[in-house]
Amino acid sequence: MEFRELLRASGPVILDGGMGTMLQAKGLKLGGHPELAALEHPDWLLDIHRAYVEAGTQILCANTFGANREKLRRTGKTVEEVIPPSIAIARQAAGGKALVALDLGPTGQLLEPTGTLDFEAAVDIFAQEVRCAVSAGADLVMIETMTDLQECRAALLAVKENSDLPVLVSLTYEERGRTFLGHAPACAALTLEGMGADAIGINCSLGPREMPGLVEELTRWTTLPILVKPNAGLPDPSGAGYDITADQFADAMAQLTELGVKCYGGCCGTTPEYIAKLCRALEGRTIREIPRQVPAAVCSPVCAVPIDRVRVIGERINPTGKKRMKEALVREDIDYMLGQALEQTQAGADILDVNVGLPEIDERAMMVKVVKALQGVTDAPLQLDSTRPEVLEGALRVYCGKAIVNSVNGEEAVLDAILPLVKKYGAAVVGLTLDQNGIPKTSQARFDIARRILDKALSYGIRREDVYIDCLTLTVSAEQAAASQTLEALHRVKTELGLKTVLGVSNISFGLPARPLVNQNFLMMAMTQGLDLPIINPNLEAMMAAVRCYHLLMNLDTDAREYIAAYGNATVSTSITGGAAQSAAALQGERTLEQIVLAGLKGEAGGAARTLLETTAPMEVVDGVLIPALDKVGADFEAGRVFLPQLIQAAGAAQAAFEVIREHLSAQPGGQTQPKGTIVLATVKGDIHDIGKNIVKVLLENYGYPVIDLGRDVDPAAVVEAVKKHAAPLVGLSALMTTTLGSMEETIRQLRQADLPCKVVVGGAVLTADYAQKIGADFYAKDAKESVDVARQVIG
Amino acid sequence: MITITRLNIDEVLRYMGCPPDKADEALRGQAEACAREVLAVIRPRWSWRALSITLEAEGVRLEGGLLLPGADLRAHLGGCERAAVFCATLGAETDALIRRAEQLDMVRALALDCCASAAVEGVCDQIELQLQGKFPGCSFPFRYSPGYGDLPLDVQSGLLELLDAPRRVGLCATANHLLTPRKSVTAILGVASGEIEQSQKSCLGCPAQESCQYRKAGGHCGIS
Repeated sequence: MEFRELLRASGPVILDGGMGTMLQAKGLKLGGHPELAALEHPDWLLDIHRAYVEAGTQILCANTFGANREKLRRTGKTVEEVIPPSIAIARQAAGGKALVALDLGPTGQLLEPTGTLDFEAAVDIFAQEVRCAVSAGADLVMIETMTDLQECRAALLAVKENSDLPVLVSLTYEERGRTFLGHAPACAALTLEGMGADAIGINCSLGPREMPGLVEELTRWTTLPILVKPNAGLPDPSGAGYDITADQFADAMAQLTELGVKCYGGCCGTTPEYIAKLCRALEGRTIREIPRQVPAAVCSPVCAVPIDRVRVIGERINPTGKKRMKEALVREDIDYMLGQALEQTQAGADILDVNVGLPEIDERAMMVKVVKALQGVTDAPLQLDSTRPEVLEGALRVYCGKAIVNSVNGEEAVLDAILPLVKKYGAAVVGLTLDQNGIPKTSQARFDIARRILDKALSYGIRREDVYIDCLTLTVSAEQAAASQTLEALHRVKTELGLKTVLGVSNISFGLPARPLVNQNFLMMAMTQGLDLPIINPNLEAMMAAVRCYHLLMNLDTDAREYIAAYGNATVSTSITGGAAQSAAALQGERTLEQIVLAGLKGEAGGAARTLLETTAPMEVVDGVLIPALDKVGADFEAGRVFLPQLIQAAGAAQAAFEVIREHLSAQPGGQTQPKGTIVLATVKGDIHDIGKNIVKVLLENYGYPVIDLGRDVDPAAVVEAVKKHAAPLVGLSALMTTTLGSMEETIRQLRQADLPCKVVVGGAVLTADYAQKIGADFYAKDAKESVDVARQVIG
Repeated sequence: MITITRLNIDEVLRYMGCPPDKADEALRGQAEACAREVLAVIRPRWSWRALSITLEAEGVRLEGGLLLPGADLRAHLGGCERAAVFCATLGAETDALIRRAEQLDMVRALALDCCASAAVEGVCDQIELQLQGKFPGCSFPFRYSPGYGDLPLDVQSGLLELLDAPRRVGLCATANHLLTPRKSVTAILGVASGEIEQSQKSCLGCPAQESCQYRKAGGHCGIS
């Protein structure tokens, strides 16, 4: 029987039990390689597999858990040498009574952002195993013992792109119901079902008694069959063993039929005896069929957001009409975008829209970079905003979780180009109610397009719950009759098609005075018509207030908790256009900008700079106030009168002031300053300790140097390329570990070889002036302050 | 199970580059707030194993075959017949907390980073005590980690494998032998059934040695 038939049949599916612990019992020595059992001890392996088949196992996992090229490296064997005999032995033991699965375990390295392994590199590692198993005749694939949802995605994608085999995916959770990395079962369920897993579940780490809570959580978020492969109880930290017997194991497992679990097996510490008793305990029990209703939802790896109330999509990461964001994109200033992201989530955004489309940049490369960086700092799910399929695919590949694709429209060619991507990567999708003929005037025509988009999405196998419709906001100053048409279409899509709705709200008021008034009221009207996902600027208090009031008044905010949490201690101005005046009033402080910088008062610096700009030229503020203040702090730092924290605080305050000046300048036509020479910063290849480099960056920026920050673990070639691209006169390299000084030296060598006229300054805990000279650096900076001195010397 | 309920704020300030007596109230308050934040987010996990050891010409050979090369550890483990090898991590969420703070406020990020360093030291101190309790009547030189003296970092993956660390505690090494999550440690605690000459942890055995920022400033890190 094929695996998919087994799943459809009414009884339980029996998996196997532990392998590593069985090999140890056979005599595998400490320090031996369990992955090589097929080559070194084929008789042991055959015995173990046979014992499981005799016990009742229907699916044998071949002994390939660690048979990836990374883990095999130290054994001197290749994937091609290990996987075929491992599968052949399992096949021989199965004797036609069991199916044989390629067992895919973790690579042994953590992926970005916690580790350094690149997503595509992980896909490639798994793909090699899958291709090998396909030619060796595996019946299915079992991805298991994963702690990182992103690594699961890499493995699942590798299976899907290199085979037609059925695939089970299992993560390992701690007692708190999260993986070691903090990833949640809800997020695993949403993501893996979306990407086409055949069954999902839980293995290792916990015993069968810890399973019910996790199983129930999974069933809330997936319609897929559930598998459980727990350990023989909880392990002792010393590795001495596990705490429950085969009988206890079987009893606890049999209870899980009540929760609708489909596939049963064991992990560490379980033996053929456990599986035999498990089979007996399951005999005669029927698996309870519980209807499951999975809500419309999106997620990051740690945070699932069901669309069961109004969810705010933050619109700020988008260059349209935002000079500062455009500038950040051109300068590859990823940190600016991360700052925008955190500001929006703090203001209450549930989901963040990400649009990096600018004609002068490589949109796909930038999108991938920004999505990865955003997922390193925010738990909010992302809405990937582009009309270009290649950009969307780049983003969808690396996005960990269930994203929203923004957007498709009613045009056939667009639907056929983008919906397959939505399906492959398990995303939700926004459909705009327009097509090749433009935006229809009437609500009926928009409704018709919405229905067409839905039908097409369903035909691609996309869930109805994953289709969100945007009925399009038109500017009311240009077409006053349009707003009511939008609202009517929205209402019909919501009630007649039962779909979730999206709407960009802010456009409504373009060209009108007191725009916040119009925006807030339009938002409230749209929500009462059924808007689920407003795309707004959450930093505008009036907009968030409307959402909170809506939840309060519609009884979605139980006991008004959120409303009171937001406004319990606040004095709310009833004027919703008075925000700017208010903040200007707040900074009638007595302190001068210089004092503020010296005291490191970041919160006050922006306001003080704004006040000063009313009477003083921008560059005068920089050269006459900010730089001298920073110099004074720097001198005090050198003299040991202030210390690193105060130095950074002063820099942070200056940065806030610079930000205001920069906005002021970019708001004036031709008001750009003549920028100083660019400085490229990087923590060298192999090194991931970058806090020192980040401190240096803050300081340099505050002296007005544009900084291109390449991040950590940076390839020498990337440094060379950035220096060329930005014609940078100075490069700063940091390394914390002695082991990575070699790659610092290599980076300098490559810079010299490329014959670039740049100077190199190096720093980091293990460096000395002598060593810096030895590896060919021009300067050594012992701390952040000295790096500024170097920049002044080189650039001025 | 390891729980850390407080951190030494003076130590945190020292890690931050500020002598504790020079810290004003605001900075000390911020360090304390960050300590609370770190303590709330860390999830200390650890794994260990007792192994017999052989002192060989090239270094220390662990039971199971892994060689820890170099003269320094060999000298350090003189008189020991066994070692308790362990690893500990604060978990990935600590890294994420620091990463997020770096986007908003570098002083806070620095304080969080230093609190996490202090916390991982505290976790290791507790583990060391617990392990010592498992070998009654024995003596122990101080715990020793890859990167100390001439013990290279490239033994990390071998140690982690021996401890089944990726599966048991979610701790891995990068291709360049750095531990991830970042606030993690592997260590070797020698076990001698007889008396041994007690050595104090000192700058001489430290990998930073002459390049140490504290020593450059005329002080020390306070770990010893």
